[in-house]
Amino acid sequence: MPTVVLMDSSLSMTRPVSQEGSEEFQRKNLAVHGLTMLFEHMATNYKLEFTSLVAFSSLWELMVPFTRDYNTLQEALSNLEDYDKTCLESALHGVSNIVQQEWGSTCPCQVVLVTDGALGIGRGSLRHSLHTLKQRVEDKKFPLPFPFPAKMFIMCIANVEELQSTDAMDNLEQLIGLNGGEGQIFTMEGPLCLKSVQSMFGKLIDQAYTPFYAVLHCGNLASDVQVFPRPEPVLVDEEVDPIPKAVQTDLEIVGFIEIADISSPPVLSRHLVLPIAVNKEVDEVGAGTTEDAEEEPSANQMAGKSPNFCVLLHGSLKVEGMVALVQLGPEWYGMLYSQADSKKKSNLMMSLFEPGPEPLPWLGKISQLGPISDAAENPYGEDDSKSPFPLQPKNKRSYAQNVTVWIKANGLQTDVQKILRNARKLPEKTQTFYKELNRLRKAALAFGFWELLKGVAELLERECTLLPDSAHPDAAFQLSHAAQQLKLASTGDSQYSAFNHNITPLHTDFSGGGAGDRM
Amino acid sequence: MKVTSSRFSHKTAFVVDHCPYMAESSRQMVECDMLTKSRGQGVIPLAPVSKSLWTCAVECSMEYCRILYDVYPTRKLVRSYVHYIVSDSEFHSLNSWRQEDQSTQELMAALASVGPPNPREDPECCSVLHGLVAAVESLCAITQYQHEARRTLMDVADRVANRGRIICLTNAKSDTHVRMLEDCVSETIQEQNKLAAGSDRLMPIQRCELVLVHIYPQGDDTLVSDRSRKELSSVLSSEVHSVRAGRHLASKLNILVQQHFDLASTTITNIPMKEEQHANTSANYDVELLHHRDAHLEFIKSAQPCFLCTGDLHMAGSTSRDSGLKETVTLKWCTPRTNNVELHYCTGAYRISPVDVNSRPSSCLTNFLLNGRSVLLEQPRKSGSKVISHMLSSHGGEIFLHVLNSTRSTLEDPPSISEGCGGRVTDYRITDFGEFMRENRLTPFSEGVLDASGRTSSERAKAQLERHTRYWPMIISQTTIFNMQAVVPLANLIVKESLSEEDVLTCQKTVFNLVDMERKNDPLPISTVGSRGKGPKRDEQYRIMWNELETLVKAHVGSSERHQRVLECISACRSKPPEEEERKKRGRKREDKEDKAEKNGKDADEKAWPDSERLKGPQEREKEEQTESEMIKDSPDSPEPLNKKPRLMSEEIQPPQKSKGPVSLLTMWTNRITATSRKHEVFAGRLNSVNNKAELYQHLKEDNGMDLHENGKATR
Repeated sequence: MPTVVLMDSSLSMTRPVSQEGSEEFQRKNLAVHGLTMLFEHMATNYKLEFTSLVAFSSLWELMVPFTRDYNTLQEALSNLEDYDKTCLESALHGVSNIVQQEWGSTCPCQVVLVTDGALGIGRGSLRHSLHTLKQRVEDKKFPLPFPFPAKMFIMCIANVEELQSTDAMDNLEQLIGLNGGEGQIFTMEGPLCLKSVQSMFGKLIDQAYTPFYAVLHCGNLASDVQVFPRPEPVLVDEEVDPIPKAVQTDLEIVGFIEIADISSPPVLSRHLVLPIAVNKEVDEVGAGTTEDAEEEPSANQMAGKSPNFCVLLHGSLKVEGMVALVQLGPEWYGMLYSQADSKKKSNLMMSLFEPGPEPLPWLGKISQLGPISDAAENPYGEDDSKSPFPLQPKNKRSYAQNVTVWIKANGLQTDVQKILRNARKLPEKTQTFYKELNRLRKAALAFGFWELLKGVAELLERECTLLPDSAHPDAAFQLSHAAQQLKLASTGDSQYSAFNHNITPLHTDFSGGGAGDRM
Repeated sequence: MKVTSSRFSHKTAFVVDHCPYMAESSRQMVECDMLTKSRGQGVIPLAPVSKSLWTCAVECSMEYCRILYDVYPTRKLVRSYVHYIVSDSEFHSLNSWRQEDQSTQELMAALASVGPPNPREDPECCSVLHGLVAAVESLCAITQYQHEARRTLMDVADRVANRGRIICLTNAKSDTHVRMLEDCVSETIQEQNKLAAGSDRLMPIQRCELVLVHIYPQGDDTLVSDRSRKELSSVLSSEVHSVRAGRHLASKLNILVQQHFDLASTTITNIPMKEEQHANTSANYDVELLHHRDAHLEFIKSAQPCFLCTGDLHMAGSTSRDSGLKETVTLKWCTPRTNNVELHYCTGAYRISPVDVNSRPSSCLTNFLLNGRSVLLEQPRKSGSKVISHMLSSHGGEIFLHVLNSTRSTLEDPPSISEGCGGRVTDYRITDFGEFMRENRLTPFSEGVLDASGRTSSERAKAQLERHTRYWPMIISQTTIFNMQAVVPLANLIVKESLSEEDVLTCQKTVFNLVDMERKNDPLPISTVGSRGKGPKRDEQYRIMWNELETLVKAHVGSSERHQRVLECISACRSKPPEEEERKKRGRKREDKEDKAEKNGKDADEKAWPDSERLKGPQEREKEEQTESEMIKDSPDSPEPLNKKPRLMSEEIQPPQKSKGPVSLLTMWTNRITATSRKHEVFAGRLNSVNNKAELYQHLKEDNGMDLHENGKATR
């Protein structure tokens, strides 16, 4: 989840903070201090997060495009200049643009707005923006809600009392409301000082930037992992009282499936699964190094050398072209697979399916998937030539069952022509002729299109008279038989117009000399 | 109230007028005698046929249902049911809300039995009203899905919504007639809701949408005016569409089904297709598909007004919902180059239905997909870069439009797995774990299958994983037995939940085989890397091997009495009592190893593990084994174990009968095996044997040249 830091660089941020004794701070200094803390945290614990820095006043400027280089961010932060007044609306438009250009409109993002809560005056102020919310023309809409899923964290370098003395707090709350309630306002507690700004950013880190740790299990094999980006709780529709579903910290592998069988399934999100060495468990995992444990050569080196289940799993998934089905919680599943970033680098990835007992129609209910050893015979065949997947739906879809649609005239014309074409090749095409004839008959009966039956009967009778002398005698018999049957069906007489009745070829026997005359 | 997805779409009641006036011709003529023109003179072409109003109404409503059933089949998110009712002097219900009745074939058969309206019937007795009343009653009836929802919600059952839509295809006489129909529906809803309030089997209608479609013949002037949706009461809203029969009606219902079910249209362009007449040329075709509009989410969102927007996000096609029912997003076909199966990052998959299902281009496309090929779809853009945004693919006879992620990934350039924990270890048992994964593949079982202990299929799958991993060393240099072909039969069997008598016998054979190998002093595939000199002595190697084998079997000893017997067999057969070995070893081994070995010795004496210890056992065992193997592998810079392939098997195994001395336990067993083996199918090797002496692993010699396998086992 990329982060945009939106830093207020208006003049009001340079207001000094009254502090006894020590050197004088500006609010801006406090903001920079807090952000430095955030960047440091991310550089160590959340280093794969992309972050960009946008400064704004009446204009906005992209100071640092999305990067994982926190030194660059830090540097830009310390070189921030001071500008004029606060104009949040245009800055939010800027954020919206930057994010969409980089990540499109489906990637969830976090926006960290750092401001002193002086939200501008007159035109361009947040108050003015919110006031005119309903009078916007189509192309000047307020940027919230963002077209992408976004969480908005507002870090106020001010305390609640100060914000509540004006309408700043109300306006900010309204802003969160416009974002669909996704987000939170953080304020400083007590005097404005380094300590309170630290505690405020500490809360943000706890809220939004704590790494997600879990244990990946495959029977008795296990590995401690970090899942990045951390999976966010998911709201399940359809439920009476929707409660966000969170991924469990124990990820249990259920079994394995071939990539061809799982077949590019739709997923909610993708995550890296990074094996980690939890300090106390190094001994357990890396049994081979117990003796050296006291010497502690370097935690990293050691972790690299002790076998880890994730690496084994990744290697085999990659070689075999398979995925592991993993349970994330009650009735919630995902898959683990090897994802190659380039030819050299590849990684263990986890994708989350939509929560529910049956995330993919072609796999069926996950709870009904069992080990192949339970089946009477190996459903994959002895030589892996078969597969029990995909499951077939009970009813075929229209495009898979040769339906008859005559809404456009050429649909009907094609069907009639098919019959006539085959009629001219009787008796060789007897089977196809009757197949097409019956298809037309069924549809005409269902649509109540008796006139068509009569018409086609006439056509067949005419074909009969047009038969060349060289024609097989059977052709004439079959044509007049078919024509007669269609006519009977068109009377609506239940004996002849039953939907499931099929016209069968007339039995003729020309080998014995006498013509078959069972008509 | 957003409960259980029952929007209007959950229940749709079709009411089709079956009164005598519907038998009237639509006056849209269809020329079906096309071939005659090319056949010269003398042939009088057949007069064109025309569909009746009834035929037009039926085929368009069937098309509505076809699309609906294609895009929203059973059991998924939005469950859509159709109740089809025709009405003349009374109503005829052609199906029900039941799942089995929800298919076009069922409806076609039922329609055929009704037949076209009888023009001679007394028009005074006939009315579409009968059908409308029946439709309202039917909306009060509970569907399977609502029933289940009510049952699961129990105390909040009243929160299950009941909304529905009535689509009435009729030929009305005037606006007043239309108003009369509306009033009738409104009154019936009131009455039925009163009834339903006092019934467990009925649900009152909360909202009902009435869509009246007035159909009139081509060339006539309409007597009924169009009217957009109007609230008639708090429960009922109504709209009136006045449409000419024929293709106007078809496109009207096509628009309605898109509106009613949140559909959008995508046109696949540039589909190469062989010409029917000239097989060696190909032309490009377009095919239009309908699907849920969420497949266009990216386009809908980026088309939002945003005054700073730059770039070519707008290019992809615009789908503003208000104006855009006729609009379609165009995507370009990318001819698939390979049949490689790839795992794409897909953010959504939506079922499709071709607009023109039996046209040649449509059926070519769908057949191509149904045969198992996937097609990537590209956004046509003015400027340079190629963006693949969608994929068409079929799964089990259903075609889905997959939405692929086409923007920059937030996970780009991650650290490689080889840089992280365990990344520097090079001798993982990758091939073996691959084999393990194949054995633990999943397969669907029928609904509600529970085993004796009430576990579902997936719980059994997890239980199997647990059994198979009780002892599973991850790297080659941590194990001896899994590098030995000779152990495979036992290793495969012992993880089973239950063993047959024959399985036990196979395990015992494996053990005897090992005993035999030891007697002949065959080398073991123990890594010599890292140990000083030549590595452990042969007897030490066997001790390690036996210990490991015991660890494996002990991990399963709690499973059954037969598992226990395998362990007993090992304990009885393994070469020397550990104590004796200890004594021998003490002389030459380094002091620090002694403690561990003693521990092993003790463990070996344990006959069975208590159940409580069984689970934590493997890890501990593994640890011990690891410390054991550590002395072998743990050297400064030689991670690659050399002795991966067991060469021991190339020697012939002597038939035990020839061994000298008094009759050993082994001989007794072998005799018994020979006796019992006659009861079952004879081992192929034995059939081909000379003097009852079969050469085992005949191919090993041939393969000896290629020691490249990761371990000693033959790879698949």
